[in-house]
Order: sequence, then C-alpha cells, then structure tokens
Amino acid sequence: MTRRLLGSEHAAGWLFVLPAVVLIGVFGIIPIGWALLLSFQHNDLLTAPTWVGAANYRELVHDPVFRDSIRRTIIYTLLFVPLSVGGALGVALFLYRPIRLSRFYRTAVFVPVATSTVATGIIFNWLLDPTYGIANFLLGKVGLGPYGFFQDPDQALYAIVAMTVWGWLGFDVIIYLAALQGIPQDLLEAAELDNAGRWGTFRHVILPLLSPATLFLIVWSTINALQVFDEIYVTTRGGPLHATTVLVYYLYNQAFELFHAGYAAAVAEVLFAITLVFSIAQLWIGNRRVHYTS
Amino acid sequence: MRRVLLLAVLAAAVIASGCGGSGSSASGGKVNIVLWHGYVDVEGNALNAAAKRFNATHPKIHVTVQNYGNADYALQKVLTAIRGGSYPDIVYLYGSWAANMARTPKAVDVAPLIKADPSINWNDFWPAERQAVTVGDKIVGVPALVDNLALVYNKKLFDQAGIPHPTADWTWDDLRAAAKKLTDPSAKQFGWAYVADGSEDTVWRFDALLWQAGGDILTPDGKHAAFNSEAGVKAATLLQQMATVDHSVYLDNGNGNYANLFNSGKIGMLFTGPWDLSSFPDVDYGIQILPGDVNHNTISGPDQWVMLDNGDDRRNAAWTFLKWFTSADEAMRWSIATGDLPIRASQTRTPDYPKYTAKYPGIDTFVQNEENAVKARPVIPTYNEISQAMGQAIQAVLLGKAEPKAALDQAAQQVDQILAQGS
Repeated sequence: MTRRLLGSEHAAGWLFVLPAVVLIGVFGIIPIGWALLLSFQHNDLLTAPTWVGAANYRELVHDPVFRDSIRRTIIYTLLFVPLSVGGALGVALFLYRPIRLSRFYRTAVFVPVATSTVATGIIFNWLLDPTYGIANFLLGKVGLGPYGFFQDPDQALYAIVAMTVWGWLGFDVIIYLAALQGIPQDLLEAAELDNAGRWGTFRHVILPLLSPATLFLIVWSTINALQVFDEIYVTTRGGPLHATTVLVYYLYNQAFELFHAGYAAAVAEVLFAITLVFSIAQLWIGNRRVHYTS
Repeated sequence: MRRVLLLAVLAAAVIASGCGGSGSSASGGKVNIVLWHGYVDVEGNALNAAAKRFNATHPKIHVTVQNYGNADYALQKVLTAIRGGSYPDIVYLYGSWAANMARTPKAVDVAPLIKADPSINWNDFWPAERQAVTVGDKIVGVPALVDNLALVYNKKLFDQAGIPHPTADWTWDDLRAAAKKLTDPSAKQFGWAYVADGSEDTVWRFDALLWQAGGDILTPDGKHAAFNSEAGVKAATLLQQMATVDHSVYLDNGNGNYANLFNSGKIGMLFTGPWDLSSFPDVDYGIQILPGDVNHNTISGPDQWVMLDNGDDRRNAAWTFLKWFTSADEAMRWSIATGDLPIRASQTRTPDYPKYTAKYPGIDTFVQNEENAVKARPVIPTYNEISQAMGQAIQAVLLGKAEPKAALDQAAQQVDQILAQGS
C-alpha cells in the first residue's frame, strides 16, 4: 500500500508541493484558524483568555469608530484602485511608445515602489507640512491654499490616497508594460489595415488584450487597499481625530496599543469577509469580461 | 517617557526578533543573565561600559546587554518573548506599562526583596518614581530614568522681541502674551509648540496644565473621570485660545518636527524635558520651571527596570545587578555620562554632582523641578484607553473642532465607561 502510494504520480506531486504546503500552513492557514478562535475570546495577551462567544462581534456592531473605519476603508479603496490602475494604464501607454529617454522614465516611475515606506512617509510629512512644506509654498504661488493636508481631518485621507497612488503606480506600470509587450504585432497590423484608427485600435484591440492584466491589478490593488496600514502608520497614525483610522489601523490600535486581542481578531474577521466579497465579485465580473488570447 | 526616536522602525524590529533571552542559567558556577534595553548612542555606550564594570567586579555573575530597538514598542516584544518561553531577566520599560506588567505572572514583585534588603535604600528614589512602579501592593520594577517637563526657551528670540526672560513665577497669562509676541507669520515663527497627535505626548503636557489649575485626572477613588472639571476646562481653554485664536502655537503632528524647528530658531518656547536638550546645539536656550496657575506642578515620566523570573539563581543575580546599577555612585556616573537626571535624591550630595551640573548647564532647573512633580498618572491597566480618550478630546480642541467643555465631557463619559468595565 505504502509502496504503491509512494510510487504513484500523486505522491510525487504531493512531495513537490510539500514545502509550499508546509509554509502556507504554518504562516497562513494556522494563524487564520487561530485568529478565528481568538475572535471568540477575551484575550489581553497577558493573562489567561476567557471564552465570550459572539460578544466581540456584538460590541463591534455598536462601535462608532469601527463603523467609521469601514466607511473610510471603502472610500480609500474606491479612490485608490481606479486612480492607481487607470493612472498606470495612461503612463504605460505613454512609456510604451518609442520616445527618447523612455528607459529613464520607466526607472523613475518605479523608484517610489522600491523606496522604503518609512522614508516615503518622512518625506511626505515635510512636503505636506502646512507651514513649512513645499506643497503649500508652490500652491501659494498660484493662489491656492494653504491646506492642512495630514493635519486637517477633512483632508488627511485624501492626502494618504495621493501618497499611496504615487508610491504604487510604478508597480502597476510595469505589469501593463509587460502586457503591452505581449500583444501580438500582427493584430495591431491587421487593425491598421482595417483602418481602425488610434482610438478604435485602443478600444477594440489593446484594451481587450490588456484585460487579464487589468483584472489582476484590480483584484490585487483592492486587496492591498483594503489592508492599507504602513503608510498611515508612518504619517498620520490614524489621526487627526480618527480621520485616517482604516480597518487595519483600528485593528492595530485595539490589539497592540490597548491589548484587546480578541476584539481585534473580530475586526480582522470582518475585514476578511469584506475582502472575500470584493474579490469574488471582481472575479465573477472579470470572468465575463476578460479576453484571453489562446 | 523617553522617546528614543529610531527612524528605521522596521530594521529595529528585525534586530529585536533576532535577540533571544536565552542565556544558559549557570555554567561553571557562573550565573548568566540577560538585560534588554532600547538605548542608543551615548546611553548605549554608557550601558555597555557599566555592564563591563559590573562583570569585572562580580566574578559569579555575567550580565549580557541586548538592544531591543525602539523602546516605544518594547511591551509588545517582551510579551511576545514571554509567550515564547524565552525572555530576558531584566528589561527596560516605560512607566505607563507598570500596571500591564503587574498582571504578568512572570514579572517579579520586588516588594518582598526591598523589604528583606534595606541596602537598596528605597525611599531615596524620588516619590514620582516610587509611585510609578507601585501597583496596589506590588512593586513591579526599580526606577531606571526620570524626566520632567520644564520651559525651554530661545534667549535670542526673547531679546529680539524685547520680552524679559521667563521667571519662576510666570503665569499662564505671561506664557500666552509672550507666545503671541514671539509669533511672526511672515517669518513662519511661532511662540510655542504643542504635540497635537492625540497620543500620550499630547496628554501628559495637558496633565501638567490640569494639575496646575488644581484639577485631577480621576476622582480620588479612581472610579470616575475628573479631568472635565473647571480646572480641566480652564487648561483646555488656554490651549484653544493659543492655538485657534492667537495662532501662536506650532502643532506638531507627532513626528517630532518641533525639535528641529526649535533648533532652527523658528519656535520661541517648548514644554520639554532633558532628553531633548542634545537636539538644540544651534540655539542659546534657557530653562525655567513651567508657568503656573494655582501652582507650578510639572509631570514626571519615570521608566523602570522590570525583572522577569527565570528561576532563583538568575533572579538573585538580576537583583544584585540592579542594586549595584542604581546605587548613588553608579547612577551619578550614568548621569554625568548621559545628562539624565539623578534617579536618587542622595545623588545630589555625592562629590561628583558639581561635575554634572557644570557639564550640563541649566540641568539643575530640571533637578529642582522634580520637587514640582507632585502628582502622577493613574497606574492602572486601562490607562492607555483613558489616555486615548483624553488625547482625542485635546486634539479636537487644538484643531478647533470642538469646544473645551464639550470635548472633555465626552471623553469623561468614555473614561467612566472604560473604568466601569475594567480591562
């Protein structure tokens, strides 16, 4: 029995994926299960946990900061995803054409992605300082501002959107450039022969052929946007007045500043549910709209 | 509340995850103990030197010093280490975490050790330090560092504006008037600065004002909020008037820009402690006790060495080290090396004390000011939550988003709820 199993192709296959399965199990599946258990506990990470059933979830329903953090997370996602993916498409189409210094521009666009978030955060803190920042100085030259940016509760979230779009645009551009290179030249030539025109070629040839990349970027950016944390942690720390307290920041605050680990785990489960809904919806729509070349 | 600002938070986390508290307890009759801290630069070197001196003079004990990175995040790291079952014997922790540590079974209650061993001379530590480590009938650590807030001002800016330098009997009105005169929007110059991120940095400066007006954070029984009293509203109104009417306050968003700006001569006055002085090499500054209302109270931010239990031998060795390290002579050597305030009253009577005041001009104001640190923040596990509620209220007032009374009342309501629930 054992010998037959070992000898079978099945077993060989399992052996090949074993390292990945172990890694994903230890760092993925087990923590996911543990977090679910945690969400039904009162746990301060110090003393013995107690079971509280669904109490954490019931409390969440009546928590105004939590409700607002969901709202902010969704606003952030709805702004970040179109701006970064759409912006990247524009930049990629521009850089794909044979222009002078295109290699230099490609590198320049990618540099923010390779820059550490901490460094980016410190730079933006100074750029956007209401009094001493260069942003208000330049806007003042054209008669605008001054703006509070990170220090104004009505602007801070949008300042974070701008900073993160700047920081992640380069990644999306690279994906689009690779996808553009994969478009068969004969299709473009055929379009030209058919007098499709530039807009027609873009709308009916290029855009459909980019759709797998677009789907990937939308799903990937959405998951990232729903989990935004680092950029907020190094700039506004959730403030001012909770204006940038998104779900993951709220989770961090509850778990690691106030030591409500069970409550924070319940927040994580809600985030998981939201992410799942978004992803399923996107893939479902995507399956009907995406064109794969075969 | 020492803020060792480390820009590379991530790098620090990597380093910390690499340290283990695993020193084998006894090898060859020698007891090995491990100490975790977040000191860097001058203080880091001073600590390494102290450990070396201790090891040379104590053949039966070997202490290994390890840096855990930014002290702001030490509690999480220590709790994780305890969970993992491998933790150091001594760890540097902020005063505000004393109540959290008191609930950890692995933290050593040093009250019996102090009782059994008068050589520690416990009452020689400042009252604010002793209050900060006392949680009910437990004592969770030995004082490591003490700070307090004083008024640090730029002499040149005062002279240029023709304002006499601050005196020890300055009032809030004097502060406000001077801040207004020192403010010059065209030069982007502010009279005062306030950390307005809603964190404990925001709250403890407010606490000093609250106490000066005769108020308290909680009621004497510790069951209700008391900061929304008349005194609290008066303190918050001062902040409101200066920030939103006079516009004489630079609002720092928690990234410590105020220190650079003070050093560039853009800010006239700060409420700050001795740890910031080394950031002001370009300014001729003066130091004065805080302006007052009913009194001139300040707030003290004591930190502590907490002992964790790794068995009798290592516990005894850790106690021996801490007694030696916090003795008046050794503590004086530390103060001279680092500029930190004396942690013991008797340090001011050691023969080396004049050397210290000569090396750090103006520091004696901070030492004397320790006597104005009469009250302490509540040492309870829910303190972080209380601080967060107060911080949001003060931030709302500073940003002109709420009226002092309404903001404090709302925060008080939250705090009452937190206190009623416990942790």
